[in-house]
Amino acid sequence: MVLATPVVETADLKKTYILGKVPVNALRGVNLKVEKGDFLAILGPSGSGKSTLLNMIGALDKPTEGKVFINGVDVSTLNDNQLADLRRSIGFVFQFFNLIPRLNARGNVELPMAVSGLGKNERRKHAEELLETVGLKERMKHKPAELSGGERQRVAIARALANNPEFLLMDEPTGNIDSKTAKEIIRLVKRLNKDEGVTIIMITHDQQLATQAKRIVKMLDGSIIKEIDQL
Amino acid sequence: MKVGDVFSYAFGAIRLRKLRAGLTTLGVVIGIAAIVALLSISQGLQVTITDQLQSGFVTDALIVSTGGGTAFGPGSGLVTETDFALLVNDTLIINEIEGVATSMPIIQQVGYVNSSERTAVSYVMGIDFAKYADIYSSTFVAEKGNIPLNPENDTVVVGKRVSDPWKNGTLFCDVNDAVEIRWVNATVRPPKNETYSAQVVAVLEAVGGFSFVGPSDSAVYIPISQAQSFFGTDEVDSIIVKLTSDDEATIDRVSEAIEEKFSDQVSVTSSSAVLSIVSSVFSTIELFLAGIAAISLLVAGVGIMNIMIVSLMERTREIGILKALGMKSRTVLAIFISEAVIVGLLGATFGIGLGWVLANVAATIFTGGGFAVAGEQGTVGGEFAITPVITPTVLLGAFGFGIAVSVIFAIYPAWRASKLKPVEALRYE
Repeated sequence: MVLATPVVETADLKKTYILGKVPVNALRGVNLKVEKGDFLAILGPSGSGKSTLLNMIGALDKPTEGKVFINGVDVSTLNDNQLADLRRSIGFVFQFFNLIPRLNARGNVELPMAVSGLGKNERRKHAEELLETVGLKERMKHKPAELSGGERQRVAIARALANNPEFLLMDEPTGNIDSKTAKEIIRLVKRLNKDEGVTIIMITHDQQLATQAKRIVKMLDGSIIKEIDQL
Repeated sequence: MKVGDVFSYAFGAIRLRKLRAGLTTLGVVIGIAAIVALLSISQGLQVTITDQLQSGFVTDALIVSTGGGTAFGPGSGLVTETDFALLVNDTLIINEIEGVATSMPIIQQVGYVNSSERTAVSYVMGIDFAKYADIYSSTFVAEKGNIPLNPENDTVVVGKRVSDPWKNGTLFCDVNDAVEIRWVNATVRPPKNETYSAQVVAVLEAVGGFSFVGPSDSAVYIPISQAQSFFGTDEVDSIIVKLTSDDEATIDRVSEAIEEKFSDQVSVTSSSAVLSIVSSVFSTIELFLAGIAAISLLVAGVGIMNIMIVSLMERTREIGILKALGMKSRTVLAIFISEAVIVGLLGATFGIGLGWVLANVAATIFTGGGFAVAGEQGTVGGEFAITPVITPTVLLGAFGFGIAVSVIFAIYPAWRASKLKPVEALRYE
């Protein structure tokens, strides 16, 4: 049996920050493999290094030691432009939504496609489809300030899906919305994973939320302490 | 990202901060308006002065005067103090030079003309009527009366504005009127008023402008012999030389010959030389004015930089988002530069418009207010209209400069924005 290239793979990943003059070992050798179609939750308390790991996997930051492979490509060999290109194949969903306030929902979803150089008509059509997928077709002309927290996060998910990414990278996606809405969001995420085959990596400190994933990786003090397969 | 999308994104960012963008643009508007207004007025002034100079010009005449650089004759303050003086008889020396048709001395003094009730200040010019009429055949022409070729000593020819200064039907003096000509002889102590009575035999046609040695609307002309005795001198202010030809070679050759004859103690000026002096003076003035205006534009540039750095801090997170979405650093740079281009474009467009309006308003004020050029004949207030001139060079220059300043001052903030690390920018509160 030929194994497909993992979407994300890390090899002995280490990251050391210098805070003031004190070196902080945020990651102390993380080995992780995410296959296509996976739904992985990275669970850990604050300070466990999960956000640092997210930055590495998202090609937002470079490791001190070790390697990150995204679709088999060694991230450390890429220059700034190549990293930017790589990030287009990653769908980011942030805790604080990080929508552009002056653009309406559709404009926000169109943005990554505009960055990729897609034509106006094409990206508008696709944005509307995506907003329909997340159930926001009726609100697409509203600006983020006119949307509820849950709606904003759904716009953010639609935006993350815009460039048909290799995987969604979600940072506490329900951390800033009420529990009822959070349930809707997680239902949406599960549906995307199950029906659309979207690979999902979700970072959370919420045990309850993590149990929704197919697989859980528990982190503490910069290391993976436990892997739980829920299938 | 496509260029159109970059601009549209930049434009959206500008629209979000209308007041701030408006004020930033205002800086550019003021700078460009200052440049356009100052340059178009000064170019308009140059055109007016050149036109007026040319209206009394003859191309086949040279002006010989004492000292260096006395292009504008006595009273211009340019005369160098020397013992050397040109005398009435020096025309004989000049006449011997090949290429000289004839020459004629001018004795000139600031004097007063008293008519029955009023007094006017005027230049009193002692000339040879016949030769002057020959050299300035198109401008030394009588509108009323006749210019006598062999005048009596007590005849006087007056310029149009001396005769009719108010243009309301009341004349200061007319043909056949008796006037008293007076000057203050300051060579004796105490200074003494010298006067004699003369009869107006002719009023000149309006020459327009302020003529350079040639006939002027605001001068009175008396026979040279009368001037010699009345002013008590044989020293002349200038000698007008009529050439046999107006080609460059003749002008240069005769000029050199005259300077040589008088051991370089005279200066010889041709009409074309005067024009080139005017043009070079204006070039300097324009450079100076443009320089001053450019400073205000630079201040606007610093304003742009300041605003962009502040806005960069506010937009750090946005830049982080854009980078997380896969935007390249050079696209972030392009967005910020585009914002500056838009500000520069708007600023330059409105600035040129405002500058043009200001120039016209200023020109109207100058003209309507009887703006007099304090030139050699400026003793009688001149009619002087400036029409601002805006050349394509000024237009394009202002446009380019406005955009260039905006962009140059945006480069640093834009570069800083493009260099933000996505992970840090996203963390920025």
